[in-house]
Amino acid sequence: MSDHPSSVISARVRHVEALLESRGLLEDGEIDGRIDEFLAGGSPANGARIAARAWVDPGFAERLLADANGAIRELGFSMAGGLQEQRLKVVANTAEEHNVVVCTLCSCYPIALLGPSPGWYKSEAYRSRVVRDPRGVLREFGLELPERTRISVWDASAESRYMVVPRRPEGTEGLSEEQLAGLVTRKGLIGTAAV
Amino acid sequence: MADLAPGMRVRTRTTDPDGHTRLPRYVRGAVGVLVEEAGRHPLADDRARGRAGAPQPVWHVRFAAADLFGSGAHTVTVELWADYLIPIEEHP
Amino acid sequence: MSRINDVGGMAGFPAIVEEPDEPPFHADWEAHVFALNGALIRRGVYNLDEFRDAIERMPAEEYLAASYYERWFAAITTLLVEKGVAVPEELDLPDERDRPHG
Repeated sequence: MSDHPSSVISARVRHVEALLESRGLLEDGEIDGRIDEFLAGGSPANGARIAARAWVDPGFAERLLADANGAIRELGFSMAGGLQEQRLKVVANTAEEHNVVVCTLCSCYPIALLGPSPGWYKSEAYRSRVVRDPRGVLREFGLELPERTRISVWDASAESRYMVVPRRPEGTEGLSEEQLAGLVTRKGLIGTAAV
Repeated sequence: MADLAPGMRVRTRTTDPDGHTRLPRYVRGAVGVLVEEAGRHPLADDRARGRAGAPQPVWHVRFAAADLFGSGAHTVTVELWADYLIPIEEHP
Repeated sequence: MSRINDVGGMAGFPAIVEEPDEPPFHADWEAHVFALNGALIRRGVYNLDEFRDAIERMPAEEYLAASYYERWFAAITTLLVEKGVAVPEELDLPDERDRPHG
């Protein structure tokens, strides 16, 4: 395991790939193709565009919360880029309620839409504690919520994948939709940052 | 099984199965409220054992942190297959 | 019985560490493991639930000592053997083959 130097596991992975190619279970170049496809796929910028549209278009926001898969298609996005199309569940932060997403059992995340998840999202440290003490965990991320704000934690324990629409920051009335999208971070889309 | 519907109170199963399950241990035996159906899928436990299984409803089930951990003002909403849920009979 | 992956609500893990400007993969082999798993699932060699199950069945000490993609690779090799694609010795590097299998 981790006592293997990286070069050893790297050689073992190549060895298994070659074996599978010889058994007809992998095509030549298939792995590189999949990696390129994956790296060109999802990105937090997609989620930021969705959040910004929800901020400027209340009708879109309503459709997004009711049927996210349908709503994101309006912007040309889909949840079909992975092994199969997944249901997306979008929740929106308000002055009264803050949402934060976790997968306590493994690391479920809307990769097809947002790209790979950050390492901390996959860590036992985050997965174990955010369901038990979300306020404390958010404080560690530098997010201090008012006492009156209710916190809803979502555990991605089955087939849906989740995204948070952060609250639109105050004083952003003059910004374009594109500029608004530029404010939204990956942590904001998971719920561990305000925006 | 009674038809599940939003607002219904359910208790999760207490069984600790041998092998793969998607019922996290911290919600086992706890009482929660059904929020919304999240699609229909064959039970993950069956698929991990190589069995097909018929699709069944999966629900967002909301638990009060105090009911799970004895403290906390937040809620945790967990996505659970109908097989994991036992509707609580309401006696008006 | 509850497995080592089922950590919701557990105490004892370290502080959460954020990595600034984290790359999607930390080494080329991680990307290969990611793609290899997707390829094998699409081919129907095993399904996603069997893959998760194989990660969860890792001995707890090995699970905790392994990095994220080391767990994936361990699960892939476990399943290749269990599904009859390869015998364990074939998955080892030639210079590892004299080691006992545990």
